[in-house]
Amino acid sequence: MKAAAVLLSVLLTAGLVRAQVAQVALDCHFAPGWEASVPVRQYAADNLYDYKDGAADGYLSYGFARMTTIDCKSGVDMLTIDVSEMNDPDAAYGLFTANRDPRLPIAPIGMGGQIQPQSATFAKGIYYVEITEVADNPEADHSAVMQAFASGMSARLQGRETAPEALQWFPKENLDSVRLVPESVLGLKLLKRGYVAKYKQGQAFVVLEATPESAADVFKKLREHFDGAAPVQIDNEAFQAKEPYLDGICFFRKGRFIAGYANLPDATQAAALAANLAPRIP
Amino acid sequence: MSSNTSRREFLSTGLSAGLALPVLGATSAMALDPQSAKAAVPAKLDYRILGRTGLKVTTVGMGCMITSDPSVITRAADLGINYFDTARGYQQGNNERMVAAALGARRKDVIISTKSHAPSKEELQKHLETSLRELNTDYIDIWFLHGKGSPDEIADDLIEVQQQAKKQGKVRFTGVSTHSGQQQLLPWMAQKGVFDVVLTGYNFTMGVDMDKAIEIAAKAGLGVVAMKVMAGGLRRMKPDDPAYKKLTQQGAMLAALKWVIKKPNIATTIPSITDMDQLDENLKAMSNPLSSSEEKILSAHLDAIRPLYCRMCGQCDGDCQKGLPVADVLRFLTYADGYGQFALGRERFMELSAEHKAVRCGDCDRCTVNCPHGVQVFQRMSRAQELFA
Repeated sequence: MKAAAVLLSVLLTAGLVRAQVAQVALDCHFAPGWEASVPVRQYAADNLYDYKDGAADGYLSYGFARMTTIDCKSGVDMLTIDVSEMNDPDAAYGLFTANRDPRLPIAPIGMGGQIQPQSATFAKGIYYVEITEVADNPEADHSAVMQAFASGMSARLQGRETAPEALQWFPKENLDSVRLVPESVLGLKLLKRGYVAKYKQGQAFVVLEATPESAADVFKKLREHFDGAAPVQIDNEAFQAKEPYLDGICFFRKGRFIAGYANLPDATQAAALAANLAPRIP
Repeated sequence: MSSNTSRREFLSTGLSAGLALPVLGATSAMALDPQSAKAAVPAKLDYRILGRTGLKVTTVGMGCMITSDPSVITRAADLGINYFDTARGYQQGNNERMVAAALGARRKDVIISTKSHAPSKEELQKHLETSLRELNTDYIDIWFLHGKGSPDEIADDLIEVQQQAKKQGKVRFTGVSTHSGQQQLLPWMAQKGVFDVVLTGYNFTMGVDMDKAIEIAAKAGLGVVAMKVMAGGLRRMKPDDPAYKKLTQQGAMLAALKWVIKKPNIATTIPSITDMDQLDENLKAMSNPLSSSEEKILSAHLDAIRPLYCRMCGQCDGDCQKGLPVADVLRFLTYADGYGQFALGRERFMELSAEHKAVRCGDCDRCTVNCPHGVQVFQRMSRAQELFA
């Protein structure tokens, strides 16, 4: 009986959340001359493949709930707005980091966005928005239209506008980009989910475990995975190693976080950088 | 013949395919695992010829779409996998860049395929130049028109762009990737004669009609590359789904891959590989053939999903005498039962006409709709009405 009540409560809550989400209005009136050409469509996890083909896996891996889509037209130019609802704002921002061009700056739209000549992306709250134009001339610069659509859509969406706190933990010097890896950080199944910061040389990472205990358990297995792991002194526990694909590497554990540096010429250098990263993590 | 894959047909096709091994043109080799001394287990590699391209490909290739780190791709190449698949649209081009970074040093030793969704000639040309730049290469081995479901979607000017790119040496071979409509599309491609390769969804849940379409393509000289070989894998399943635990424990994913590479008309496969563990697991498909116990696992899984999940194939046999859009209602039910999205399922159901919402299947003497794949239409429709109405 109690279980049934809990189930009913979960279903009702889910219903309320979805009802709120369903109120997001999607149309094409963000710039003069644009009208809907195909009505709003929705996709869930099971039929996202029908729309995105193999790219659907990328959305699903980040924690996808559903997508609302509309096609717009202005003369011969067409664009599509895809609004993905993710499980939480970090997932929405994570999907943005996976899709953004790391060579271009992040624009101040929602938690972060990018405007290009014929496309725009941004994340705000649980939403990840993509605006993609199919212009008559593929070389045309329609940045102003993209900006108008992105700003207009952002104004309609509720939710967090600050990027995840973890991004601030990585040192800024020589930093290329930071992305959320939704599973298997550094290609290792043990490291389930975390942020990876790419630098001019090497990469830093912070893996998010639920508790210090679970992090300690993962760390133990991690040490066993690397032959020749040598202990070093950083926070709760740490080791450095060298292997063919991650080169010089250092892992340390601080509470529920497992962090470090990889792909450096030698393990000692990785350990030195890891020692600098540790105090930046709360 | 129905496209239904019965348990008996499933087992017999699996076994007969097993007897057909080794296939013509198949060879094997061994590669050493360089990752660590602990894991230095030789990996057996099987090769086939990719249709008229003449390319010798490992039967297990690599879909790079959700690979978490370039090191996984580099290691796959070191271990001998030689077919890597990406697409212009994956992560807005970041995936092509990752493939380039991972394979740069051994570009000449591997086969790289990429795809474009571009709907127009101009956009397609632009995509080609962008892919060449992002992949940091002078040529693409196989260039696909991405995600086509029927011949109508493949305009002549798109084919012209492909052929011109081939003449210019920017592309070695051309093809089409498809997720649906293969039974019409593959024979059309075979007859058209301008394509070299087809990349198609193919797995153990599909029936003999799909096998026939693939056979027609292969006989016409098209190289056949299979994707979606794990039938959606675990990604679309909830961890609390009873089938999830069963599949992970029993090795059904590896069995599903083995089932596909056992088919002689399939030259290679591109399972998505996220990490080193998955890479190691998939490599096993080339060293150990599909066993009878693995066939039983797949057969049981097929039996388990058949009565419940609509494949949206559009091949319902017969119409509902009360006019219900059966496939749609089954899809709404899948939102709730398959993916835990009750609210979405109900929301869609409530958009049906008042007349359709009022229908109760229990009021009919018999159901006039049959599913060729064995979905229990009457039971599932009744459940939808009980849950949503």
